[in-house]
Amino acid sequence: MNIKTRLPILFIAPTLVLLATLALIPLVYAIIIAFQNQTLIKPDSSFVGLENFFNLFSDRRFINSLKISFIWELVTVSFTMILAIFLGILIHEKSSPVMKKFLTLLLLIPVLLPRVAAAFVWKFALHPIFGLFTYPYKLITSQSLELLSNPSTALYTVAMVDVWQWGLFFAIIILKLLETLPREPFDAARLDNAKTWEIHFYISLPMLKAPLVVLMFVKMIESLRSFDLIYVITRGGPGITTETLDMYAFSLAFIENGRVSYASSMAILMMILTAIIFTVIWKRASK
Amino acid sequence: MSRSFKIENFVSQFILFLTALMVLIPLFWTFLNGFKYKVDIISVIPKIFFTPTLDNFIYVITKQAVYTGLLNSIIVTGISVLLGGLLGLPTAYALARYPNKWTNDIQFFVLSLRFLPPVAVAIPIMIIWLKLGLYDTRLSLIITYLLLSLSSTVWLSVPAFKQVPIEVEEAALVDGYNPYEIFLKIALPVAYPSLIGALAFSFVLIWNEFMIALMLTTTDAQTLPVVASGFTQMGRNVPWGILNASVIVLSIPPLLFLGLLSTFLDKIIKKSLGGKISG
Repeated sequence: MNIKTRLPILFIAPTLVLLATLALIPLVYAIIIAFQNQTLIKPDSSFVGLENFFNLFSDRRFINSLKISFIWELVTVSFTMILAIFLGILIHEKSSPVMKKFLTLLLLIPVLLPRVAAAFVWKFALHPIFGLFTYPYKLITSQSLELLSNPSTALYTVAMVDVWQWGLFFAIIILKLLETLPREPFDAARLDNAKTWEIHFYISLPMLKAPLVVLMFVKMIESLRSFDLIYVITRGGPGITTETLDMYAFSLAFIENGRVSYASSMAILMMILTAIIFTVIWKRASK
Repeated sequence: MSRSFKIENFVSQFILFLTALMVLIPLFWTFLNGFKYKVDIISVIPKIFFTPTLDNFIYVITKQAVYTGLLNSIIVTGISVLLGGLLGLPTAYALARYPNKWTNDIQFFVLSLRFLPPVAVAIPIMIIWLKLGLYDTRLSLIITYLLLSLSSTVWLSVPAFKQVPIEVEEAALVDGYNPYEIFLKIALPVAYPSLIGALAFSFVLIWNEFMIALMLTTTDAQTLPVVASGFTQMGRNVPWGILNASVIVLSIPPLLFLGLLSTFLDKIIKKSLGGKISG
């Protein structure tokens, strides 16, 4: 609209000032403490330059958490996308209108649940003694199924809970995306006797490339927020086999002597790393 | 061909059925356990039939810690969403209707706040609140959450305001409405259904938030997710029944918005994304 008014400034400025204050002050402060040796226990602190950052690279627990975070991202993002595409297409092709309506509501529930709740529901369902989902295994083998206290399965079991929340949610989104596609190319392909899976692999998925890349990107960012699930289900254990970067930073700052400076340097490094990696992936993927 | 088609159809239906069960069973089980005595929960053979009890829920609602958590969650989430709406909706409207050379940058800035790792922000914020003497208060939690509620409200409401037919607003201008009246009396009521969806999303986001609440509170301002997670760390003495009941209470509010958010999702995808693909 072509009218002269101060409305935009009045409507935008307060929000922008508030957001910038709330985001930038902590951020700048995080960078400052990352160069100090502050802890929550002793009151005084001094600048130590890059010491914290140098220490990180000889910290085997940090290297471990870097590795765990990387595996977590890879597993949760890829399984979420694969499950969502598979289920989305399956619902689109094989369910009646009533069933479709029912499933779109039902599959939205897991992602709406607080992560603390989802974590607890599965922690209890997979409990080696009282768990409903470990019961059949126990019945057949008369041994208990220790998925969460076994170092080689714990991380993947927690990842499954994440995929349960996000994979089912994305399946609904992909279903709705499929419904927005024009019908003509599909009718033509069907006349050529193309199989259902061929149609989707060669026609609909390429047509949906842009939104699928966006979805994957959203999941990559959300997967970085793995803390809630891991904290409730395993607390980084057994040992440090499920300790991601944010879990380790949290332990440092809150459980072990309040080493806020060291934790901060880790968080800053994590931020720079993700910013670089995501920018590269985003540029490649959106070409 | 028809035979293999039948098998394929059967397998497909079976997978869809299993998927539905994977959602229904764990939730139904948690629901049942909320009404069980401890003996029936820690039974080695899962029990479907049992003598139901309301003890767990009575405990959750009357026990000080859980009650405080519930109250804190309601107050903190309510005020954060309200303030986010009061400040964020006008911003979204201005961004949608008065684009200038900074509009895209502002929108990207708002979106980019979501990329910040919560740990990186939570540690310094905790120290700041400690120094200001506001640590473990509802006020500090609400202010911190404004970052979440404002950014999500702005981000989701811009498309909602863009969908309001511009002709309606121009007609109002001709009728002598000033820009503020157009926002209040035309744009808000017309975009209302989508805006409610955006606010519901912001509600769910903050109600479910855990990490920041865990770092910024110890007793007084603890929200319900933090209280509930405390129960799970009690080792052998986990009060399973109470835990189940508090998880149910915690999960009800976001699920109340299920229908609303599903419709909202539909609109967002069909109108903004769908338009781009076919157009």
